[in-house]
Amino acid sequence: MAAEAPAATPAVETIGLRKEYGRRVAVQSLSLTVWPGEVFGFLGPNGAGKSTTVKILVGLVQPTAGQARIFGQPVSDLRVRQRVGYLPEHFRFHDWLTGVGLLDFHGRLAGLSAAERRRRIPEVLRRVGLAEWGQDRLRGYSKGMMQRIGLAQALLPHPDLVLLDEPTSALDPIGRREVRDLIRSLRADGVTVFLNSHLLSEIELVCDRVAIVDRGQVVRSGRLADLMAAAPELRLTLDRVDSELLALLGRHGEVLAVEATTVTLGVSDLEAAPRVAAALVRGGYRLYGLVPAQRSLEDVFVSLVESREP
Amino acid sequence: MKALVITRFTLQEAISRRLVLAGLLLSLVFLALFAAGFQFLYTRALESGTRSPGSLVQVFAGAALTVLGLYAVYFLSSFLALFLTVGAISGEVDSGTLHAVLARPISRAEYVAGRWLGFAILIVLYVAAMAGALLLLARLFAGYEPTSAERTIALMLLCALALLTLSLLGSTLLSTLANGVVVFSLFGLAWLAGIIEFVGDVLPNQSMIDLGIVVSLLIPSDALWRGASYYAQSPAFLLAASAGRGTFPFASLVPPALPFLIWSALYTPVLLLAAVLAFCRRDL
Repeated sequence: MAAEAPAATPAVETIGLRKEYGRRVAVQSLSLTVWPGEVFGFLGPNGAGKSTTVKILVGLVQPTAGQARIFGQPVSDLRVRQRVGYLPEHFRFHDWLTGVGLLDFHGRLAGLSAAERRRRIPEVLRRVGLAEWGQDRLRGYSKGMMQRIGLAQALLPHPDLVLLDEPTSALDPIGRREVRDLIRSLRADGVTVFLNSHLLSEIELVCDRVAIVDRGQVVRSGRLADLMAAAPELRLTLDRVDSELLALLGRHGEVLAVEATTVTLGVSDLEAAPRVAAALVRGGYRLYGLVPAQRSLEDVFVSLVESREP
Repeated sequence: MKALVITRFTLQEAISRRLVLAGLLLSLVFLALFAAGFQFLYTRALESGTRSPGSLVQVFAGAALTVLGLYAVYFLSSFLALFLTVGAISGEVDSGTLHAVLARPISRAEYVAGRWLGFAILIVLYVAAMAGALLLLARLFAGYEPTSAERTIALMLLCALALLTLSLLGSTLLSTLANGVVVFSLFGLAWLAGIIEFVGDVLPNQSMIDLGIVVSLLIPSDALWRGASYYAQSPAFLLAASAGRGTFPFASLVPPALPFLIWSALYTPVLLLAAVLAFCRRDL
């Protein structure tokens, strides 16, 4: 389960992180905290600065300003990378290597002994479902297999923190489910997972906590359940839908969708439900159904990002 | 040392991509060609020079063939050095293969140093084997003795390493294509400056000589080759040629100056350091 009582040292902590590429600001004063043992979802539209943030955490990109720490150590400290596994967004590996060859190379880089590599390599290959493909050259791998070998590479040195940048983008639905199961089993082992994704359903299914990032800034963060409960919606089924009705509902919330005689209304909290019902009856409408529903993460995400459009 | 993991990886890559095999086969073809040419031309030269057996003609033919053969080795090894490293870093950055590697506990300096060492081993083996085999063939076929085989090979090694490191530095700063254009142009420039210096020496014209020297300090490849060519000529040939003044436009009749040799020895480490510093700052 998620760390209910936060431990003293965060697994990942950034304070006022900023990265500029010339005049373009990729990350703008980004502050976030990930606690050990959490599965943390980092969510945002393309170009929001998600990958740049992860690259700063593994030392591939130098921040312009601010601090980034992993397990309390600055990310410039090489020793901390011993505890980190990373799957890059564009998982490209040297295609002349075999699967086992790639893992052996990364095992050496991670400082694993020959004995550890011999034990660990078949283990991670099995874990990502490539046990039979280890001796094949990577150039013969499909895109999905490449992503799996990338995951194997990230898990190889028994990391305490795994940073996954879009880990399922090349996988089919079955592969995605396997990755979800893998993430859950990592959580069961107490491994912290930092998951970058624009696939909302992905994050909804596995993450304990989420930060929604847009244009290099965290616009909302918190426990997934809290984020979604914070913005409920009402499904109203009526005898008719006309412009007066929409105007009336607009005073109580935001009309999200109209399908035949069913209107979906976004409201600030569930206390709006009896008020809306009373107003409808007063207005002469016949109310057949009023169902409060939780908004999906996608709705939260879209409304947050769209409300920030200039 | 993590750098050695990268060195091992670099050598593994060269073997796996059949670079070593192709290089080996082509080198054997080259040496066979040289041996055949040497055998043929040398016996002909001796036959036509029967009036003075074993003297000037023999001295000239031996030196000319050996220096020409080494000149070809110099070009081959220079191209190999430039090609090996032209995309050594930039290619890895562009293809994205570097991201996962550098996220490991390895510093940028270790990565660059390890990569350099791998390529340096390849080029040193190539130059030493080719130049060594060529001098050995000249000795076997014609009993040709250069002024110093060791110094010839040492200066050729220095030259190949200088070009290798220059190209590696470029690949930390530029894209593979841009780096290729730059380093091959610089190599050509050094070659041209060598010719200008040679002509300036014959005329004589001090400005031309100075121009050649300035360029050879920036890119010492041609000047190092000329140094190697001096030691590749036999003492008897040097003596005869010095009297006549100026023989091959691509070989030198004087030994390389000590300050130049010191500069050349520093050239590779300085460029390697620059490559490390340049790469440490780069965002990937």
